[in-house]
Amino acid sequence: MRYAVKQLVKLSSIGLFMLGWLAGPAYADQTAYTVRSTEIKQLPFSDAATVARLDQNTSVNIVKRDGGWVRITSKAGNGWVRMLSLRSSSTATKRGDSGLQSLFNIGRSGSSGFTVATGVRGLSEEDLKNAKPDQHEFEKLQRFEVKKAKAEKFARDAKLKSQRLDYLPSNGSS
Amino acid sequence: MSIRALLFSAIGLLSGCQHNGMNIDFDKALSIAQKAQQANKTITEPEEISMGNGIAANLLGASPLLADDSVQQYVNEVGRWVSLHTERPDLPWKFGILATTDVNAFATPGGTIFITRGLLQKLDNESELAGVLAHEMVHVLRRHHLAALQKEANLGIASDLLGVALKEKNSAVLEKAIKAGTEVYARGLDKNDEFEADRMGIVIATRAGYDPFGLPAVLQMLEAGNAQDSSLALMFKTHPAPRDRLNLLDKVMGNRFDAYTAPAQTDKRFNNAVYQRI
Repeated sequence: MRYAVKQLVKLSSIGLFMLGWLAGPAYADQTAYTVRSTEIKQLPFSDAATVARLDQNTSVNIVKRDGGWVRITSKAGNGWVRMLSLRSSSTATKRGDSGLQSLFNIGRSGSSGFTVATGVRGLSEEDLKNAKPDQHEFEKLQRFEVKKAKAEKFARDAKLKSQRLDYLPSNGSS
Repeated sequence: MSIRALLFSAIGLLSGCQHNGMNIDFDKALSIAQKAQQANKTITEPEEISMGNGIAANLLGASPLLADDSVQQYVNEVGRWVSLHTERPDLPWKFGILATTDVNAFATPGGTIFITRGLLQKLDNESELAGVLAHEMVHVLRRHHLAALQKEANLGIASDLLGVALKEKNSAVLEKAIKAGTEVYARGLDKNDEFEADRMGIVIATRAGYDPFGLPAVLQMLEAGNAQDSSLALMFKTHPAPRDRLNLLDKVMGNRFDAYTAPAQTDKRFNNAVYQRI
């Protein structure tokens, strides 16, 4: 019985997770175009089989992202292309808040039922210029400060491992 | 600021004071000018932190924190872990989610980083969050705000603000410095400092074990954004176009980041800590 309940809880949490996932990240459902001639790969690896080659300035639909790769559908074929070979298609023709908001809300409103809290609004240039200090909020902020050891445990818990890597040169040559 | 400009201004300061019937020591005026010129280099870490804390309190006056301790804690854990992979791991790094629906992130001198609820809500995973926080950290590491403040302030303010006042613990001038420092966020930083923050930010996030493409993914999401959207207005005004930022990352990243991926556990954690909550 206990096991069954546990399983049920597990299942429903998976269900919740799936719901969030199925609702899809904000990144999906965008259209993009290629900034260079690029290969569509069967898998998100540079040595995976090539499905087709896309010319520069070809329109594609983004399905999802995995690291530096994006799964796309296109007239030439479906598969994975390098993320940085793509730029989003311009949304300049859309006007008003509706364009972007509706795009973003695909991802989040469905899964979390998010509504804007009363009284919370945007942050304008004027707000910043006229800002007066809020010491109470600042003290609250300080209470969230995390110690090194706790941060290291946090990383271990998710199997995050430090990597050695130098900064990049600014001109792109190595 | 050139030495000559500083000297002229220092002399101007001096003669101005004389006109007002005040008696000022020329050596002192000169030393103020010299200090101003070197302020960005000579401002000490405690001074940087106290000024940054004042600016952080101001930003919190513009938007309070999101009232959710659990998400605040999570963002602090991600941020603190990432900060350990910078060259200033011992700063009092702290992170806050501002309640505003605006899409933006800010860093104040000395290590306080803010991300807005509006931006956090648009992120898909922990690597994207790490990428955004790492970008902001670079502004702190490289003291970009102090540079912007010094560049824009006239000599009088610059010398007051950075050269002398903080050392002499003159609270009225510190207050002025904090006000001017807060206004920098309405104008934005130098374009090249933003590019630098992208370029170094992806490396820092990768060092912390995250997917290097977290930040580029956020930029691509922003690129698809509508310039007419009011929640993006300030961020678009104060940063180079996402497309230009992506073009530069495209040039420097190549395929040298292909080997790095984030552990799947981070996705699950982000889903529970953020996705399901806000």
